[in-house]
Amino acid sequence: MYALVDAVSFYASAEKVFDPSIRNKPVVVLTNNDGCICAVCPIARKLGIPKFKPYFQVKAFLQKHNVVIRSSNYELYADLSERMMNVIARYCDNQHVYSIDESFLYFKNYGKIIKDWHQYGHEIRRAIWKETRLPVGVGFGSTSTLAKAANHAAKKLSGYNGVAVMNNAQQSKPILKQMDVNDVWGVGRKISLRLKQQNISSAYQLSKQDPKTIRKQFSVVTERTVNELNGISCLTWDEVKEPKQEIFSTRSFGQRIVDIHSLQAALTTHGAIVAKKVRQQSSLVKKLMIFASSSPHDENYYKQVMIYKFPVATDNSCDIANAISLVLTDIFITGVRFYRCGVGAIELESRTFQQPDLFVADNSNPALMNCLDHINNRYGQGALTLGAEGQTQLWQMRRDFLSPQYTSNWRDIPKIRC
Amino acid sequence: MKVIPIYIEAGISGFESPAAEYKELGLSLDQLLIRHPNATFIGQASGQSMQGIGIFDGDLLIVDRSLAAKNGDIIVANFNGCFVCKIIDKVQARLLSASKNHAPVKINQGDDFQLEGIVTRSIRLHHQAPELTACMH
Repeated sequence: MYALVDAVSFYASAEKVFDPSIRNKPVVVLTNNDGCICAVCPIARKLGIPKFKPYFQVKAFLQKHNVVIRSSNYELYADLSERMMNVIARYCDNQHVYSIDESFLYFKNYGKIIKDWHQYGHEIRRAIWKETRLPVGVGFGSTSTLAKAANHAAKKLSGYNGVAVMNNAQQSKPILKQMDVNDVWGVGRKISLRLKQQNISSAYQLSKQDPKTIRKQFSVVTERTVNELNGISCLTWDEVKEPKQEIFSTRSFGQRIVDIHSLQAALTTHGAIVAKKVRQQSSLVKKLMIFASSSPHDENYYKQVMIYKFPVATDNSCDIANAISLVLTDIFITGVRFYRCGVGAIELESRTFQQPDLFVADNSNPALMNCLDHINNRYGQGALTLGAEGQTQLWQMRRDFLSPQYTSNWRDIPKIRC
Repeated sequence: MKVIPIYIEAGISGFESPAAEYKELGLSLDQLLIRHPNATFIGQASGQSMQGIGIFDGDLLIVDRSLAAKNGDIIVANFNGCFVCKIIDKVQARLLSASKNHAPVKINQGDDFQLEGIVTRSIRLHHQAPELTACMH
């Protein structure tokens, strides 16, 4: 048996944990730079506020309904996510944290211990609510795709109250019939459009297709999805955990950038983030993509993308910063008001199977990078940075409606009236 | 000329510290004060109403959400949209202070009341902590 536990509009719910004054109010959370709405609490959802709408388009509507607006408080979400995952881990010995607010569980040989999965699901929900004040949905299924579907039902369909179980065809059928094929895990927007052209619009209809035909028309991935919907398990943890093939760090600026030093600082900071992630998964960068652009809404839209190929693949932040300096003058143009920039490792190699070059000196300096990562893990991100990342980060993201860092900064711990 | 380096060894080494084998990990206040780290948060007391049981303005409160509240426990609750620290009187549904100047507060039907957790420890900072000073008002 598989389970998927995930939080109900996690960011918005997290905002309510340490601010009791907004518990019963509609709350929305904005993305980076306060651009779009990325989370809507259930109370706000009832007002009909859509997700992913640009903030400025709904500003008046939000004001009219006294909706509480928050910027993304990643420090708070990371802490609450960790607590939530730790509580979930008590309920199963095989946990796979899938995203900041989603966790898969695999129950192998639990059949004799757990008689009632419904009850077990409610137990998990109650514990998470009591200990972290986060509302979650729990879905059980005989495959991970069914667990994901059950989780969808637990949260979205009426009558399930946060827990759904899909252990056999009889339990699955009513849920899959009510589920749009677009909401099936692993079915993207493009595939669902093509499926709908063939009159396959519900998850149930998809489950009734012949897997082999689906494989011919779509891919082996979609074939697996069909099998998984029928209770045949095809996905394993390792497949989900595979190291990333590309690593990007990119963001639009809080304020436009017009000088070359600020652009270098912003690009180098993204480069350092990429380098750190590359090291985390024991990869090396072979090819780096560096880009910057003005806003597509500007009159003379400008975008420049440069590719830098390293002679020897590297995970050294300094090498990446040097690469950025080398291409910087080709990207920067005086007069352009830069709106967005980013760095991406587009070709990665495994450190274990690295091919060294006989004629190029190895200056990877793993000891230095290790030291850098250790210091930043211990004293917080940004404790130690490269000089080129700059000190004043005017380009940092805009977070005008940021709540306090209740659990990670002493100055922000909740006040309790006596 | 090939040289094989052989280092001179005098055979003298200092005594190994007799305490080396007894070195432990050191004491952690977290370990002593926080039983359930995932369910615990730290808050700061603000006000005089709990002085009778030794909670003063500015003290740190360690609040454990995982414990069940017993009658007479020191608790933190969400009372009408505000975190409060009081003694719970479950029999008469009241919030009691530990001060003559503060009368008990009855929890009425119309009140928004949620129990948040039990105050398991309170910590007084006899010297100001610079990390916290911004909150002292």
